[in-house]
Amino acid sequence: MRRSAPGPDPARAAVPSPDGAGAAIAVRGLTHRYPAPGGDLAVLADVRLDVPPGGYVAVTGPSGAGKSTLLSVLGGLEPLQEGAATVGGIDLARLRGDDLAAYRRATVGFVFQHFGLLEALTAAENVELAGTLAGRRTTARRRRAAELLAAVGLADRADHRPLQLSGGERQRVAIARALANRPRLLLADEPTGNLDEGSATAVIELLERLRRERGCTLLVVTHNRALAARAPRCVALDRGILVS
Amino acid sequence: MTWRDVAVLAARGVRRRPGRAVLTVLAVALATALFSALLTVSRTAEVRVLDELAEGGPLAGITVAAAEPDPNQVDRDDADPGEPRNLDDGALAEMAALPDVEEVLPVVAARVAVIPPDPVTLADGTELSLPDDDGGPAGDGNGMLFETVVGVDLGRAGDLPISVLAGRLPQRGSRVEVVATPTWLARFDLDRTDADRMLGVEIQLGPPRSFGDAVRARWTRAEIVGVVAQEAAEAGALLAPFAAVSEARTWTLAGEDDERFGLASSPYSGAFVVARGLDEVASVRNDIHDIGYATRAPENVIASVQRYLRVVEIVLAGIGLIALAIAAMGIGNALLAAVRERRREIGVLKAIGARDRDVLRLFLTEAGVLGLVGGLVGTLLGLGLAALVGVVVNDFLRGEGLAGIELQIPLGIAAASVAGAGLLALVAGGLPARRAARLPAREAVEA
Repeated sequence: MRRSAPGPDPARAAVPSPDGAGAAIAVRGLTHRYPAPGGDLAVLADVRLDVPPGGYVAVTGPSGAGKSTLLSVLGGLEPLQEGAATVGGIDLARLRGDDLAAYRRATVGFVFQHFGLLEALTAAENVELAGTLAGRRTTARRRRAAELLAAVGLADRADHRPLQLSGGERQRVAIARALANRPRLLLADEPTGNLDEGSATAVIELLERLRRERGCTLLVVTHNRALAARAPRCVALDRGILVS
Repeated sequence: MTWRDVAVLAARGVRRRPGRAVLTVLAVALATALFSALLTVSRTAEVRVLDELAEGGPLAGITVAAAEPDPNQVDRDDADPGEPRNLDDGALAEMAALPDVEEVLPVVAARVAVIPPDPVTLADGTELSLPDDDGGPAGDGNGMLFETVVGVDLGRAGDLPISVLAGRLPQRGSRVEVVATPTWLARFDLDRTDADRMLGVEIQLGPPRSFGDAVRARWTRAEIVGVVAQEAAEAGALLAPFAAVSEARTWTLAGEDDERFGLASSPYSGAFVVARGLDEVASVRNDIHDIGYATRAPENVIASVQRYLRVVEIVLAGIGLIALAIAAMGIGNALLAAVRERRREIGVLKAIGARDRDVLRLFLTEAGVLGLVGGLVGTLLGLGLAALVGVVVNDFLRGEGLAGIELQIPLGIAAASVAGAGLLALVAGGLPARRAARLPAREAVEA
């Protein structure tokens, strides 16, 4: 059951934020279920979480613990079912359909384990894509893509397609794309899961540097204990329950 | 996301599986080619058949004779004329004033003496002489022929029953160019298949004038620049511009009456009346009968043939549509496969802010691009095929001494083929596009 709470107009979700304005996360009683043959399966149960603006939290836990679901709900990949969650003052319970899309577009930046780059596009075009979906002018989004690729150290690989890049480079392109619309919340789902140790360290250092420089809130889901230990705060999920 | 952005992304999407895209486009192209070729051939055949029935003139054309109508035959397409009656400017003006009459074109005839070269050197170098007899019904046995030259306004040739078998028509107003008919060819034991051999032959023409005991002719040299089927010059061996024949007739009439010339008293030997449409032909014919002249028009045959041809066209269009439908299913199948393969990509697009309708537009545009490209390629291919068929058919027809066909490229059908292929692709792409649009954004992390 969805609980609706008064909050800012959902339209606010469509307004991009300037760099340096991290979003505070406040989650109360978040419960999420998926339909299963034997009845609904609760993958998150009464989760409570607070992250200050610009905070950096690692979420750990075994497979099936609900880490990705927590990320999906906070990132607006699926609507909130039960409980309350606000991100940067936006009440996620009030967002549906296009409002959720606008929220994902303007407030959240995603970094996936599988990079999520479109193979048919070059690195620059992949970064531009976020601006394209946000309706930015061509020149503005090209400038932004060039700036971000330079920031992640890939200015000279702008015209390369994903298959022409190494895993670490692909993930850096994905990070640049996640930052294209100046998100207030950066969500990374196992961002180093497909990378060797050297690349993994480079990628996580890049995420941390960009968070510091741009002030966005960073939530990293990871199995990697060393990686989790780098975050000032680490929370663990076990069978849908936040245990630490 | 603007339409331009969607188009660019869709084009990239199509290009990421080039083999599949080419096969899908090929299927659409073949279907569209079949559709447009069948309809083009069908339309060309229809025009050719109707042209044959209308003797090269407009379908709503009516041939008026300088004769009274036979009351027993007024309802027949090929009614025989009654007693001769002078057809003059007054009568033509009356016909022109009739409702539903678009045009009245007079036909004038004159008798002229003709001296062909001896021997006649044909275009292929063959030399021929007039048969060694008394010159037949038109000859004097001394290498001179008396022929009927028919004059019409060649500037309006498109509205007259004229089919060019070889060469071209004379320039409007020319005094030195004529075209021959099969009657002329027959003087040299040639037939319609020899039409192009007669081109370029120079002859001397002289309208005669009687001065009592003596007959004199005003000679001019003229080149045979073309050969036409008999239609507009039924009674004549030669066809020439109206003004030239009219002058020849005036020259002859200025002399004394001479029955040997066989010149009719009617100022015009006939007329060709064009009604506003096939449906008006019957009423216009009745009105012309009321004015007092016999008419002939293949209206009933044309109407029957049109009905049969329409059925053929519908059947052929049906075959083409079935092919298009199969191609559309191919597009749908290709897109369904693409949606299955790109679940994660769709999820990522949504994760970075794409709305359901953005994804819908993207996949529909991909379908539309495949359909439009296939439609365009197929239509061009179809028209090319039809042109090829036209060349083969023309070779055959001309070999048989018949007028060739003019390929009827139905631009409307060509445009409709392209647009239709695009539209069918959109319909076929609707289901996969909807499926893609409804995929949850969570696919981005699940896949």
